[in-house]
Amino acid sequence: MATVSTPSTTPSELSARLRTWWIILRICIEERLVYRGDFALGTLMRFLPIVTQIFLWTAVYSSVQTSTETAADPAGQQTVAGFTRDEIIAYFLLTMVARAFSSMPGLAGGIARSIRDGSIKKYITQPVDMLGFLLLSRIAHKLVYYTVATLPFALVFYLCRGYFQELPSAEIWVAFIASLFMGFALGYYLESLLGMIGFWFLEVSSLLFVYMLFSFFLSGHMFPIGMLDGFAIFPGSSWSWGDLVRILPFQYLAYFPAAIFVGKIQGDELVRGLAIELCWVLMFMALSRIAYHRGLRRYSAFGG
Amino acid sequence: MTYNRSMPVIEIENLSKSYRIYQKQEGLLAAVRGLFSREYRDVEAVRSVNLTVEQGEFVAFLGPNGAGKTTTLKLLSGVITPTSGTARVMGHIPWKRENSYRRRFALVMGQKNQLWWDLPAQESFRLHQEIYRIAPEQFDHTRDELVDLLGVGKLLRQPVRELSLGERMKMELIAALLHSPEVLFLDEPTIGLDVIAQHNIQTFLRHYQQLRKITILLTSHYMKDVAALCRRVVIIAQGQIMYDGSLSGIVDKFSGHKVVTLQLAEDHVPVDWSRYGELLDVQSPKVRLKINRQTVPEVLAHILANNAIEDVSVEDPPLEEVISQVFTEAGAQADAKDAARQVAATK
Amino acid sequence: MQHSSNTDIGTTAPTRPPRASYRRVFLTFARNSLIRDMTFRTNFVIECISALSWMFMNLGLYLIIFGYTDSIGAGTGWGKYQFFVFLSTTLFINSLIETFFMPNTEEFSEQVRTGGLDFALLKPIDTQFLVSFGKMDWSSLANFLFAIVLLSYSLSRLEYQPGWIEFVLYPLYVLCGVAILYSLMIALAALSVWLGRNQNLYDFWFYITSFSRYPMEIYNGPLGTPLQKVFTFIIPVLIVVNVPARILAQPMTQPKWQLAVFALGATVACLGASRWLFLKSLDSYRSASS
Repeated sequence: MATVSTPSTTPSELSARLRTWWIILRICIEERLVYRGDFALGTLMRFLPIVTQIFLWTAVYSSVQTSTETAADPAGQQTVAGFTRDEIIAYFLLTMVARAFSSMPGLAGGIARSIRDGSIKKYITQPVDMLGFLLLSRIAHKLVYYTVATLPFALVFYLCRGYFQELPSAEIWVAFIASLFMGFALGYYLESLLGMIGFWFLEVSSLLFVYMLFSFFLSGHMFPIGMLDGFAIFPGSSWSWGDLVRILPFQYLAYFPAAIFVGKIQGDELVRGLAIELCWVLMFMALSRIAYHRGLRRYSAFGG
Repeated sequence: MTYNRSMPVIEIENLSKSYRIYQKQEGLLAAVRGLFSREYRDVEAVRSVNLTVEQGEFVAFLGPNGAGKTTTLKLLSGVITPTSGTARVMGHIPWKRENSYRRRFALVMGQKNQLWWDLPAQESFRLHQEIYRIAPEQFDHTRDELVDLLGVGKLLRQPVRELSLGERMKMELIAALLHSPEVLFLDEPTIGLDVIAQHNIQTFLRHYQQLRKITILLTSHYMKDVAALCRRVVIIAQGQIMYDGSLSGIVDKFSGHKVVTLQLAEDHVPVDWSRYGELLDVQSPKVRLKINRQTVPEVLAHILANNAIEDVSVEDPPLEEVISQVFTEAGAQADAKDAARQVAATK
Repeated sequence: MQHSSNTDIGTTAPTRPPRASYRRVFLTFARNSLIRDMTFRTNFVIECISALSWMFMNLGLYLIIFGYTDSIGAGTGWGKYQFFVFLSTTLFINSLIETFFMPNTEEFSEQVRTGGLDFALLKPIDTQFLVSFGKMDWSSLANFLFAIVLLSYSLSRLEYQPGWIEFVLYPLYVLCGVAILYSLMIALAALSVWLGRNQNLYDFWFYITSFSRYPMEIYNGPLGTPLQKVFTFIIPVLIVVNVPARILAQPMTQPKWQLAVFALGATVACLGASRWLFLKSLDSYRSASS
């Protein structure tokens, strides 16, 4: 995914490039491992919000049963926006996995900062492509995270196995994994694009905040997007907030993979969804590439 | 114990400070291993230092980077606690961090900044007034006096981030001196400053010290700071005191040579100068020779008897050269010691 | 110019005031922070708006939930407006923490890393005080103001009306909640002295306090009850919001009063424990020299 700038790459050049990538990846992994105290605590803490979420939604469903407006599914269980209690908890657990792929803490802010303080120069003076380098360091970051987090993740899913009715079919698994990887790519290119807006505007922190806000609430990891269907964008409109959110790319960061896994997206809808996600990924990949080149040109023209 | 003026202001006995430093091995496997078990190395920043400083002295700490100068100052100001040994400053043990002690000294660090970055220095001074509980009249008086001495009156209302490095350092000094400390620790106060700013700060420090008769400990890289300000010099290398005495005494102690410059007569016949001593350079009609201190009179007599010489001067070698030589030797000694210890450890 | 100690002076200098006035130092901190915030006015406004929009998004989430249910948990007494009293209480406590302590504890970790803590250690004033109150973030008070509005509106929609005792106790318990969260924060910051860096301090904070954001009744069942006990009696984050919110939103029963009494003790214990940890951490401070 890191770009190969010259299309005619000879085998020896390719191997040299691969070696460079490997060394970058390795150094990034080592860097992540130095602060182990931080790291162990950080991984552990990440599971706290899901615990509170499980209890919150269990409480919500317990009172839904006593209220009248909501429908019961054929099996007699109460549903909210098409989810039974077990499904919604399985869904939240899965959005956590999805967020682990798509969230890029500090990426956009880091790029903006390096533009502001001039350390972006090192990508101009050294034969390293910034988007490629940062992608590798993100992969390293994620690899280390998964290595350490697999065990706790496995434990949590084992403890919560009761919320999963049955394991999905092989096709769903493939689609789920594909959506996770595309979620990673989407998150990466979206955030680097945001960071590179710093080439044109020095202060991007408020923009980043808005992005964080949207990705937090509209990616579906606080509630399934279907819950917004009952709320019209403005009174009397036939469009609901749910329809709007489904157009935006944020749902692919959390909602989409999780909804695939719990079987809420199937058949044609699933294929269409994956295709649209791929389009988003390619679009942001191209946009960030363009922004990088334009931005660097602007930077070297005006100085930092 | 109560401290009174007849006692030394600073008494240090066998003061040591060592740090544990995480040894990072190269390689991915080692990094993974580092998650579970780690190797540490003990670094002795200060090794059983003994020192006594009397009231009103202006003492310079000289030493290469990492020699333990700054660590000593930090121990004396109570910022860090020692591994072993004792120190008393005006009768207080610094690392007890008693307010009564903290009210009586100040530490200025050339590389760190304690003023509020986005506010005029004035506001930080006000904060110091409240923290040190300085009476308003006294505060105004001291501030005006210091501002006057340093010539920064017009800059008081400018945000600190807009000041030059030299101006900022002056403001840092004012902030540190507002509560009229009796002991002042200066860590590289002129680092990174241009020659003029350096000179201004030197002049100020000398004047202020003479005026107030306070005790000052200074660390610096710049020999000019030391030469201009301090009569007493302490050389620290590898955490140990190598020398304690006057600036000129350094040359006597560490340099066994003098530099002899000969001005030759025009009709002088070329000779092989290297048989008299180490030939430094020849810039006809001048010749510079490095000659063993003990043999100077003898050699000089011989030279004068056998050559046509118009003028002679005998000088000490440049101080900086001597000191850097001392540092290098200390470093080499320590390296040898470390190597020996490692050999002993691996056996 | 007088030199105030030129004759024999013992370890206590009688001519000087014995200690700094903490109130005046605090006011100077507040004043300096306000001056700074006002020099960057645009930034200040943006931060106010950010804080408010974050809050509105949260409010939106609960409005969605209450679109599907009448109360959080059957029979817990946390209906829509009771819960909004709860939410206002969360906002009060969080905005106070963000105004006073968040900028400082974040900076503390940074100071430990860069060695900037040196200066705090030199001052003749309590180091924890200096570290805890040094900077203030006035923009975080925007949520505090909004919380007043939300609380007043929610109370007016409630059938149950608290008496004057409840209104007197409410601010006291809000402050207790702030104190407990502050203790937790300063303890985390003290840990950063040992861990070397604590980049994720804000994250930890967010994760741990996520327990305090919902009524404690939701934690029940074989897993929930022990969890409720742990986060009430060992790391008392559950009582931070629950105790004051109950006082205003629900009729108080004896077990609820008992918990309120416990909250007072827990506050004192937390402050004490975190202070001990903080002082311990200062002893192992290494002062990076850079």
